[in-house]
Amino acid sequence: MNKFITAFSVHMAVILALIVSIGTVATLSKTQGEGAEKFTGELERNVTIRILENDTAIKQGYLKELLDAFNEAYAEYGIVAEDANMDQYSDLENDGPYGKGPDVLYQPNDQLMRYVPDRHILPLPVEELDCYEAVGQAAWDAYYTKVGANEYYFGVPVNVQGPLLYYRKDLLPENWQEEWDENDNEIPDMVESWNKLYEFSLERRQGNEKFGYMRSFLEPYFSVGYLYSYGGYSFGNNNTDPTDIGYSAGEAEKGGWVIRQLASAMNEWCIDDTITVNAYSKLGDGSYFATMTTPDVYTMFIDEMMKNGMTRAEAEENLVTAPIPMLPKSGDLTEEDPELIPSKMMGGVNGYAISSYTKAPNACLAFVDFATNYEMIKRRNELLGIAPARADVAQEIGGLSEVIQNNLEEGNIVIMPSIRENAQMWTPLQTLFTDLAKDPFRDADEMKYDSLDKIKAALERVDQQVYDAIHTLK
Amino acid sequence: MTHPKVRKQHFKTVKEIVKRANGKVVCSACIMGLGQFLYRQWAKGILYLLIQIAAICFFVFVGAEAIAGFFTLGTIESNAWYGIEGDNSVIMMLMGILAFIVLAIYLYFYYANIKDAYAMQCAVEQGKKPRTLKDEMRSMLDDKFYKTALFVPIIGVCIFNVLPIVFMILIAFTNYGPDVKPPVLIDWKGFESFIKVLTLGQFAPTFFKILLWNIVWAVLSTALNYFCGLGIALLYNKKCVRGKAFWRMFPILAYAVPGFITLLGFKFMFSYGGPINQMIVEAGGKAIGFLDLDAKWSARGIGLVVNCWLNIPSSMLLATGILSNMNRDLYEAAKIDGASAFKQFTAITLPFVVFATTPILISQFIANFNNFGIFYFLRGGGLIADGYFLASDTDLLINWLYNLSISNDYYSIGAAISIIIFLFTSAVSLAVYVLSPSYRQEDTYQ
Repeated sequence: MNKFITAFSVHMAVILALIVSIGTVATLSKTQGEGAEKFTGELERNVTIRILENDTAIKQGYLKELLDAFNEAYAEYGIVAEDANMDQYSDLENDGPYGKGPDVLYQPNDQLMRYVPDRHILPLPVEELDCYEAVGQAAWDAYYTKVGANEYYFGVPVNVQGPLLYYRKDLLPENWQEEWDENDNEIPDMVESWNKLYEFSLERRQGNEKFGYMRSFLEPYFSVGYLYSYGGYSFGNNNTDPTDIGYSAGEAEKGGWVIRQLASAMNEWCIDDTITVNAYSKLGDGSYFATMTTPDVYTMFIDEMMKNGMTRAEAEENLVTAPIPMLPKSGDLTEEDPELIPSKMMGGVNGYAISSYTKAPNACLAFVDFATNYEMIKRRNELLGIAPARADVAQEIGGLSEVIQNNLEEGNIVIMPSIRENAQMWTPLQTLFTDLAKDPFRDADEMKYDSLDKIKAALERVDQQVYDAIHTLK
Repeated sequence: MTHPKVRKQHFKTVKEIVKRANGKVVCSACIMGLGQFLYRQWAKGILYLLIQIAAICFFVFVGAEAIAGFFTLGTIESNAWYGIEGDNSVIMMLMGILAFIVLAIYLYFYYANIKDAYAMQCAVEQGKKPRTLKDEMRSMLDDKFYKTALFVPIIGVCIFNVLPIVFMILIAFTNYGPDVKPPVLIDWKGFESFIKVLTLGQFAPTFFKILLWNIVWAVLSTALNYFCGLGIALLYNKKCVRGKAFWRMFPILAYAVPGFITLLGFKFMFSYGGPINQMIVEAGGKAIGFLDLDAKWSARGIGLVVNCWLNIPSSMLLATGILSNMNRDLYEAAKIDGASAFKQFTAITLPFVVFATTPILISQFIANFNNFGIFYFLRGGGLIADGYFLASDTDLLINWLYNLSISNDYYSIGAAISIIIFLFTSAVSLAVYVLSPSYRQEDTYQ
């Protein structure tokens, strides 16, 4: 063989052999390390832990109070908790493995539980915590999951999120106590029953100027509850089985019928997000009587009412928050004296979780324990107006906190699914709700959902779409 | 791509080296720099030897494992609950690509080392002195300055362009998806993603429907933007138009506003609560769902119009610049010959403008084909049309790609669609450019 080719071949063979042999050795010599339990009960000393809180807690000064109190209590161990100074929606999945994430996170249950399959957050020994007995089982369930044969809790509930009805007391008819309080309980009928609210909305409607209840149906978070109320569900087996999609289950079509009827008492603005955008100003100027939204936007309504000439005291007096009204069992909002059933609405439980990448798990657990004790949760409520997950605090505060707590325990707040597949449910639902809300505004011959059977078929299509979105490409 | 003449020359050199290499060149083929040492070119010898040592060190400590990891994509899954550090398939793939790039660079230097040794052999045979490192350096600053100037940019291109592109292409051949992403180990799956895109029950019809609409959209929007821009430029070029600067200000203003702000503005204008519907209702009409679920063609039409709003100003500016270079004598001559205004446009203006703007036209076509923002902002996503899989009837492939890969984590499928988009757009661009006067009659206007 030519000398040059021999030399070239030898050179290449050496390089190739080097790469192959070292590569093979490196691959084969890899062994799985032995893991160790992280919660030993022994506090790490002289460590700094980074806490991710929500923006409101930071703005209202609650986080500072919490950190100061904790740092003082644990000064003897040299443990310092500090603001992680990150976006409240930051994704541990992207940051954690590279050492950039926070040690303790405060996020909604669906967000936190997305981290579980890839083990980005730690299973917690929750029974050791001060709040364990005080938090109801329904709230704990939001953070419960089974991994193999083992059962774990991955978060510690802090507050319950659920929609409320906001209405203007000063816009009630003057004679409401005579005409709109059939059960004489001093609560207007239109905020107790959807049938009455529908009736009042039709009565109050004046073209595009005045309305009763107004809410865009575009957002599944606020609309899917109508399906839940009549037997629909997101995922089977307590929202844990992504192979069982149940938006059409039970008599969920009645929920769709309710949406269609409510839309007919509004205008086309309920089809897109127009009402979501203008609800604050329109409730503020008295164009809308009522809307449904979460408790955390209370001050935005107050601000708008003040812009329309009310003093703060007047605005606070006239803006009333109430539990979601009861639904007719028949699904017919025009029925006289209907049998009423409770409205189920989608909600969530915000809580603390601990990153798997923390260097100080025991110090983090101590922080979570401290932040969820009676005093801190009460203080959180005072500053932020949250509905506490701790039943003892909710009971002491009373009012809506207690109502929300009871709704959760009674299953009327359906916790947002905590499995990763829930990301696939929003778009198909949003599409259907948009279409349902549009139906009353279509010409008679173009209506798509003028019977319960047609709504049922549409819901079954949504089930299939969600199923396909989850499973088709797997 | 290497020019055929250059490639032929390289091949000739290699063949010649294999045939004529003396012992010293063979030594360089065995150990880099050894031939240079034997020709007493110490500096060059040391440089090549150092390159070989550095390469061996790289492969011993990093490269070999990275290349092995590229093929396995990891063997140990990490478990953060117990602090077990495992393999990260994505990082391993990236490191593997990097190792291959280093290998390619090493092979280039190896070839350069042999070529250099052979050049010394030739010089000595001709009775000349071999070129020293100093001579080479001088040459690198003179006749081979292009190599010096391009060296750093090429390294940058390799790291910041080639690496991500190759990474994206390779992702299409894996099972990287919602359930398989780090810390779960990723596997190579060959053409599985492409097969799914093109054949899977519900998936394939959606792909072809979107592709068809995407082509229609790209052609229509490019043509509309281009001809409307040209039309306005011609209009503003007319002597009879007074206050040209004032009128030109309006398209410039539209151009100056950030695109997504304009799109959100249009979304509001066409919404049920927006001013257009307000006017319709006040006039006694019924609100129209311009962009809602049923609004397939009206939403598409609005998309085209809004895209015109956003892009006509740039086409107009481009055409204005080109028209200012037109030879007015051509028009005078045409007038004398009795050509109508339309004939003057089709025979003089249009060929001239098209000739000068074909490359821009192609880039506008590509930009429109991949116009992500227009329907994302106008319709806000969040709609699934009947007969579509995770897409609405206005979505372009790029929007669908976003839905699949970003919103739903189907990264490998998204990468496969990206490759298909690339193949389509590059084939169209290349065909259009090669057939265009800009390429075929390059000297016409020079």
